[in-house]
Amino acid sequence: MSDAAQTVSGRSTARWAPHRTAAALRHLGLRGAAIVYLGAMVAVPVAAIVSSGFGDGLTSFRTALAIPYAWTAIRLTLITAAAATVINAVMGTLLAWVLVRYRFPGRRVLSSMVDLPMAIPTLVTGLMILTLYGPNAPIGKFLDRFGIQVAFTWVGILLALCVVTLPLVVRQVQPVLLELDPAEEEAAATLGAGAWLSFRKVVLPAVRPAIVGGALLTFARCIGEFGSVVLVSGNIAGKTLTAPVFIYQLANQFRPAEAAAIATLMFTISFVLVLVTARVTRRVEV
Amino acid sequence: MSLRTNPIRWATLALVPILALSACGSGTADGATTCDGLPDQPTISFAAYSTPREAYGKIISAFKSSWKDEHDGQEVIFQESYDGSTLQASRVVSGYEADVVALSLGPDVDQIADAGLITHDWTTEADGGMVTTSVVVFDVRPGNPLGITDWNDLTKPGVEVLTPDPASSGGARWNLVSAWGSALRGYGGATKDDEAGATTLMQGVLGNVLAYDSSARKSIQNFEDGNGDVAITYENEVLTAQAAGKEDEAVYPPSSVLIENPVTVVDTNVDKHCVREVAEAFVEYLHGDEAKQIFADAGYRSTDLATAQKGGGDFPAIEDLWDVDEFGGWDALTGKLFGDTGIVTQAQTG
Amino acid sequence: MSAPSDVATPTTPATGAARRRSRLARGALAAAAIAYVALLLLLPLIGIVTKAFEPGVSIIGDTLSRPEVRHAFLLTGIITVITVAVTTFFGLVVAWVLVRQRFLGRALMNAVVDLPFALSPVTVGLAAVLLFGTGGWFTDFVAARGIQVLFALPSMVLVTIFICIPFTIREVVPVLEEFGLDEEDASRTLGASIWQTFRRVTLPNIRWALLYGVALSTARAIGEIGAVLIVSGTISGKTETATIYIFSALEERLEAQAHVVALVLAAVSIVLLVGIEWLHRRNELERSRT
Repeated sequence: MSDAAQTVSGRSTARWAPHRTAAALRHLGLRGAAIVYLGAMVAVPVAAIVSSGFGDGLTSFRTALAIPYAWTAIRLTLITAAAATVINAVMGTLLAWVLVRYRFPGRRVLSSMVDLPMAIPTLVTGLMILTLYGPNAPIGKFLDRFGIQVAFTWVGILLALCVVTLPLVVRQVQPVLLELDPAEEEAAATLGAGAWLSFRKVVLPAVRPAIVGGALLTFARCIGEFGSVVLVSGNIAGKTLTAPVFIYQLANQFRPAEAAAIATLMFTISFVLVLVTARVTRRVEV
Repeated sequence: MSLRTNPIRWATLALVPILALSACGSGTADGATTCDGLPDQPTISFAAYSTPREAYGKIISAFKSSWKDEHDGQEVIFQESYDGSTLQASRVVSGYEADVVALSLGPDVDQIADAGLITHDWTTEADGGMVTTSVVVFDVRPGNPLGITDWNDLTKPGVEVLTPDPASSGGARWNLVSAWGSALRGYGGATKDDEAGATTLMQGVLGNVLAYDSSARKSIQNFEDGNGDVAITYENEVLTAQAAGKEDEAVYPPSSVLIENPVTVVDTNVDKHCVREVAEAFVEYLHGDEAKQIFADAGYRSTDLATAQKGGGDFPAIEDLWDVDEFGGWDALTGKLFGDTGIVTQAQTG
Repeated sequence: MSAPSDVATPTTPATGAARRRSRLARGALAAAAIAYVALLLLLPLIGIVTKAFEPGVSIIGDTLSRPEVRHAFLLTGIITVITVAVTTFFGLVVAWVLVRQRFLGRALMNAVVDLPFALSPVTVGLAAVLLFGTGGWFTDFVAARGIQVLFALPSMVLVTIFICIPFTIREVVPVLEEFGLDEEDASRTLGASIWQTFRRVTLPNIRWALLYGVALSTARAIGEIGAVLIVSGTISGKTETATIYIFSALEERLEAQAHVVALVLAAVSIVLLVGIEWLHRRNELERSRT
């Protein structure tokens, strides 16, 4: 997967000075088309959300948060997102390392599998998890004997989030690991450093921005995830109801102002994260 | 400038057909204000509440064959949607052009009428506009391990109750009205006509609610997924679940409200789509014997109060069956329970 | 600089014992990685195949012959085609404008492109309700023209477009930045028109990035659920996409049918994935050439 949002570099400048009116009009025409397209398709809907959510000041926001399980839903969303982010930051880096540094049969297949969550509908992912870890399913029944329930608990939510965001960190870290000059690690080995020490002191600092970028993307993705969570979590208010499902319920019940208030809160968080990611991952490119 | 050298024109010209295609793809007839009889293949847009989908699936098939036989092989297409009753009503008001609505309770149909979409008095139709009745039951785990018999058992500490959300589901409102009315009639451990006692009972039940799902069907499925100890639901939902091989078991509280489900034609939409004749025929069919039999097989009781109370076959007799008029009709009950200061509203947000 | 290989050689430790330890460690790490992916993806995939075929192979035929299922796939197809066409076309325009033009507000435009990635799909559906529902900004406008937006195809297309907007743009922009300006200049100097330059010089340069973006958008459009669920009204035979059908079928206790449709979507995704992988590799290869 290509890098996260890029700020347009200063290198490519429009070097054609439009010295004819027609050319200038073409330029402006294209720019106008772009502005209209983005304005109508993106800016207007987002404006509708923000204005509905905060049009009457903080009233809708307060009403929304006053619903007994609203805060719990937001909290649950943030916590499960954070947990999934940590897990996938670690496992993602591990996966990237294994895919880049090791040769073994099935490596290509593994690499493709990692990308699967990007192609597969999230609803299907949720169904897959239920089919395997649900209360009447093989692994689900097995775990039930140890008192571990996956479906309709936060465990299921966490699992769903981990599956859905699996590729994000991996694909950020992989290109960086590929570019890494093995000479430094060899030098460390010559000096007597073990594999772990070499990793910690040589590799990690180099990939850290990529991991952080991937982690931020993961978190932003997690707090908005709907398709898989709505099937797996059971949507029990106060226990397994997440913010996106809550927004869905409010929207469905034609309580748009409250839904919009919560939605604005959540998307502000992710938008800030996506912007920060752009900064962070830019530094990775040389 | 020719097309070849001007991509801007390209862009604009390409956009027009795409947008036009989208707009035309809505499947509704062009805004004709006068109808020249039925279209060749009339399409009925059918909006129902969440639970009767299996029953209507069969009835619609039967109606389609019957219409085909009587009208020279003309095929009628039905586009059905099922969801919480109030949700469906809100959608119809918001632009979902349903031709026939089959909702859980009168007020939801009134919501559509108040928006000006239903212009006739639907309550003057056959059976008062109702096609089916049911009662409120408790769906429990096999063997009824908690020994639930009446409403007060749902107030006990630690009992997890499932009921849909009154804001979106008609079934939810039936459930809660039944609790309220039963208490006021002296059942469920409450004293007759004791409003304070009834209020306490309601608060007790609502305090034990584990989750408010957005429709009755979603609520019972939540229960079947293993959550909660008891689900308050329609009798017909439990019977449908049992027919589908599920383990649901119904416990009948001695007193219940008579659940009455209305069906009617949405005037503005049938006239816009020019399908009034078929739509009205369909609604009439629902009051006929064939449809009544299918409804009965699907777990719905008769629209006749006496028959409904007596039951018979799969339907146990109900000790105390009463309808909403006992308590001033929906207007009074909605105000008392579901309004801004209503008991249920308070309990939900408390 | 040669094309990057996708495996970098590991450093080998000096002593035999250290080598054994290193092999063990490597084995353990690889095993952990494989186990993680197996648990999260492989096993559930196998699970859904098994569950779908539980009632027997005939269930496939039964499900796929149902008119509402066929309509659901058709609807998904229509929405996807329109979405990809619109987002690819206008995505190119936006990418071009972002890279080849300088103007006040360019950074803002760039940020706006990223907005769809920051929104939960349910928020997008909510926006449609706000714009076209009761008392919405455009409700009267469309009603006066007799156009049904909500609970009909237009709203479903609109929300899917919103969600897919960034894909093409984000893939094409880096490629446009890195390549082609000199070639484009040369072409123009030699007398080619803007359109000719675009067709003969720019397009071949961005070809793989563009196709990669198309593949990503396609997968995303097919898989969309949150937004369309809110705007569609789930009208069987009219506004049920394949994903919505799965949702509804589960509610109808038609689990077998839901699993079959899910399996079909999974299969389509895997085919798309192969395409995505291949295009991604081609794209990376092109970008690394000097």
